Amino acid sequence: MKYLPSLPRKNDNVSHNHPLREFFLLLAGVVALVLAAYWSLGLFVDFAVERISPEREARLFSAAFSNGADKEDPPSDREAALQEIVDNLAPCIDITFPVRVGVQESEAANAAAFPGGRIVVFSGLLDKVKSENGLAFVLAHELGHYKNRDHLRLMGRGIVLVSLTAMVTGGNADIARVVAPARDVGQARYSQSRESKADRSALEALNCHYGHIGGATEFFEAMSAGRGGVDIGALHYFSSHPELKERIDALNDLAGAMGFSSGEVARIRFEREDAGAAEEGRPSGWRDQ
Amino acid sequence: MENLINLGVFIILISCGYVFGKIAEKRHYKSIINRERKFLTLPAVSGKNPVGEVPPIRRAQLVQGSVVISVDYFKRMLAGLRNFFGGTVRSYETLLDRARREALLRLKESCPGARQIINLRIETSSISKGGKNRIGSVEILAYGTALYYDIGSPSA
Repeated sequence: MKYLPSLPRKNDNVSHNHPLREFFLLLAGVVALVLAAYWSLGLFVDFAVERISPEREARLFSAAFSNGADKEDPPSDREAALQEIVDNLAPCIDITFPVRVGVQESEAANAAAFPGGRIVVFSGLLDKVKSENGLAFVLAHELGHYKNRDHLRLMGRGIVLVSLTAMVTGGNADIARVVAPARDVGQARYSQSRESKADRSALEALNCHYGHIGGATEFFEAMSAGRGGVDIGALHYFSSHPELKERIDALNDLAGAMGFSSGEVARIRFEREDAGAAEEGRPSGWRDQ
Repeated sequence: MENLINLGVFIILISCGYVFGKIAEKRHYKSIINRERKFLTLPAVSGKNPVGEVPPIRRAQLVQGSVVISVDYFKRMLAGLRNFFGGTVRSYETLLDRARREALLRLKESCPGARQIINLRIETSSISKGGKNRIGSVEILAYGTALYYDIGSPSA
C-alpha cells in the first residue's frame, strides 16, 4: 500500500454549528432560571414577612439600626413637628406600633423607612416641601410602606437576589454582568408596584386626617420642576420608583375615582432653616419617598 | 443607570470579541491550511522508528514548536454559560485545534531540510489555571526528532 499524503477534507475536531445561536440559547436559559428562582423565592419572602410581627421586627432590628433616628438627645423642633404629623396620621393608616421620626442633615430631598419603625427625613425634603399637607403625604407614604411591610419585603428580596446571582454565576463576574440587568428590571418592577401601593395608602390617610387631599402632589411637583423636565427614557425600567409625572397622574386619577377633593393646605409649624436650594440627590437609604 | 452602562460595556465587549475573534480565527485557519499544504510531504509520526525505507541518516536532532493562543471575550462568555449547564464546550474547540496545528507547523518550519519527524509528542498546558483573572489561553508544545538523510532526494 502506498501512502499518499493529503489534507483532510473536513475538520472533525471542531463543531460547525453557529456559536451565536448557542450563546443566546444558553443566555436565555440562565436568565429564565434566575427569574423563576427569584419569583418563587420572592413568594417565600412574602410568606415569611407576613409572619414577622411589628414587635418582633422592632426587636430584630433594634441593634442594627440604632443610629440616626434613635439618638438619645431630645427631638428638635422640626422632629417634634414631624413626629406630631406621624402620630396624627398613624390611626388613619392602621399603624398600631410606635413609629419614630428623625431628621438627618442631607442635601437629598428624601425620606426613608427603616425596619423597626424608624422614619428618617433628609433635610433637603424640608426645603422642597412648603406645606404641612405636602410633608404629611410624604410621611404617610412611609407609613404606607410600614403598613404594607414593604421595607421587609424589599430587604428580603434584595438578600435573595444577591445570593441567587452569586450562586448561579459561580462568582464569574462577566456572567453576573449579563444577568444583572434582567434581574434588576424584575426588582425595579416589583419596587415600583410597592411604591404605587404606598402612594395610594398615603392618599387615603391624607384624606382621612385632613378631610381633603390638598398638597398630595406637592413634593413630586417640586422634584419634577427641579429636574427641568428631563426625560429619563429607558432608565425608567431600572428605577425603583415610578416616574414623577406618572405618580402625579396616578394620584390625581385615584383622587377622582375615590371622590377625594383638594382643599386649603396648612403652613408648616416650624421655622425653616435656610439651607439654600437643595439638590436632588440619590437616596441614601434604601427606601425613599 | 449603572446597569445600563454595565450592559452597554458588556454588549460592546462581546461584539468586539465576536467580530475580532472571528476575523482572527478565519485568518489563522487560512494560513494554517496553506502552510500544511506546503509541508504535506514531511511526515511527522509518533513512532520511534523511521517510516518506510530510509537511506543512511546523516543527522538526528530534537526540534520543537510551541504556540500560545487566547480565546476572545465572546468565546470565554460562551464557555462560562456552558459551564452552568454542562456539555461540550464547543467554543474552545477551535482554540485547541488551531494551537495544535500551529505548534506542529512551527516545529516543521524550524527544521528546513529534514525528511521525517519521528517520536512526535504534543503537550498542552493552560496558562493561569483557573486563576482569578482567567485569561483563557493555552500553550501547545510539539516536540520530536527530525531526521536528515545523507542523500539529497526526499523519500516518501
